Amino acid sequence: MIRDFGLLEVLTILQGMWTTLALSAVAFVGGGIFGTLVALSRTSAWTWLRITSAAYIDFFQGTPLLMQLFLVYFGLPVFGFHVSAWTAVAIGLTFHASAFLGEIWRGGIQAVPRGQSEAASALGLGYIDRMRDVVLPQAIKLSFAPTVGFLVQLVKGTSLAAIIGFVELSRSAQIVASTTYKPLIAYGLAGACYFAICFPLSRVSAYYERRFAPKT
Amino acid sequence: MATMAQSAAGSLDPIIRIDGLQKYYGAFHALKNINLDVHKGERIVVCGPSGSGKSTMIRCINRIEQFEAGSILVDGISLGESMKNVNAVRAEVGMVFQQFNLFPHLTVLQNCMLAPMRVRGTSKKDAEVVAMKYLERVRIPDQAAKYPAQLSGGQQQRVAIARALCMTPKIMLFDEPTSALDPEMVKEVLDTMIGLAQEGMTMLCVTHEMGFARQVADRVIFMDAGEIIEMAKPEEFFSQPKNERTRNFLGQILNH
Ligand SMILES: Nc1ncnc2c1ncn2[C@@H]1O[C@H](COP(=O)(O)OP(=O)(O)OP(=O)(O)O)[C@@H](O)[C@H]1O
Ligand SMILES: [Mg+2]
Repeated sequence: MIRDFGLLEVLTILQGMWTTLALSAVAFVGGGIFGTLVALSRTSAWTWLRITSAAYIDFFQGTPLLMQLFLVYFGLPVFGFHVSAWTAVAIGLTFHASAFLGEIWRGGIQAVPRGQSEAASALGLGYIDRMRDVVLPQAIKLSFAPTVGFLVQLVKGTSLAAIIGFVELSRSAQIVASTTYKPLIAYGLAGACYFAICFPLSRVSAYYERRFAPKT
Repeated sequence: MATMAQSAAGSLDPIIRIDGLQKYYGAFHALKNINLDVHKGERIVVCGPSGSGKSTMIRCINRIEQFEAGSILVDGISLGESMKNVNAVRAEVGMVFQQFNLFPHLTVLQNCMLAPMRVRGTSKKDAEVVAMKYLERVRIPDQAAKYPAQLSGGQQQRVAIARALCMTPKIMLFDEPTSALDPEMVKEVLDTMIGLAQEGMTMLCVTHEMGFARQVADRVIFMDAGEIIEMAKPEEFFSQPKNERTRNFLGQILNH
């Protein structure tokens, strides 16, 4: 039976948008925390840590997110870890986002002049203080635009979670389209929802980029 | 002045003792068997041609630069392998860089408060009092709320000196503190340094400001190709340099 495009359909898509937001939030937070660790490993004084983290980045940048989600979802049970779809997708997105963010922030850290961490060292600041108070605040400003650019990609990338059963924004639009036979409206609405999430991110990025411009 | 400093320190161990220091950058031998004792309250000026290893030497003193052989003792603490020792030494040794290296994302006041709060555990309130005291000392308390980029080069370098002094260091290292400054700003920074010297601060200054060397140095060191070639009191150093290379160098920098 073909349904009309009514309130229920709109709610289904909004529900999907909510799931997309939740997936994005998980990816941002997990990717942010682990991405910081990846960036610090990439710039560490220890060669083995630099090489290991470089391999990690290469692996996750060199394979599709789709495959990474599959690997986690179907791979973990093979090793005896029976995890929920949410846990699997959280792990998969965290791996993915941390590799990309780690690489972006590595660039930021290395773009901070060496004299900055030398001056901090000369004042007696240890590694953690040096990074937290001197290097990272400057590195984040330097890599702000590419960071937001990646986050926008990530929001859109969460649509791949549909393949392991999530009814997020894209999938909900697909369902509505097939029950109503009004794909244009369904996908148009979903597109508007993506835009509503991503456009403010880009604007915020542009605003902070202006604010972070060197103070004179 | 020299005799005063030395007699005051007479029986005491040197506050810096560099012994057989060797430093390589890859295959390049940057420091060749450096030996140097600095006593408390002594002012030492280091000069020499570009690439002679002056920066490298003073940067080894607070382990901003690693070294391959030899030993450095600062106030009785060995700059060995232990990171705890290194941080202990760094807390007592202030450093001022040619490029200022102020933290651009922090205000002048925050630049000065950071290390006392993080390293010494000073409270925010006390750190601010100390910071203002030293900003007054370098005569720029009115710039405390500004960001480094809003100051002139001379003002930035004075903030850098204040920032180092906030840790109440026993020793101050200067690496060409006036070389990046416009000529009209050199004096304000040198005056600040002269003030410090008069208060009895132990100072190691890499500089080509020979007027400063004449006025405050107890000893002048000339380095070339990674070695200390000559070391003498300023009167002797400038009037009767013993080494050929010292004479050439002085000829170049004094006659232009
Ligand atoms: N990080 C480095 N890697 C390789 N070589 C270096 C490095 N730092 C310094 N050197 C070399 O070591 C030598 C000594 O350098 P140093 O900076 O100590 O000289 P300097 O006397 O301070 O010179 P300047 O007056 O130009 O500051 C130079 O030949 C320099 O090229
Ligand atoms: Mg130098």
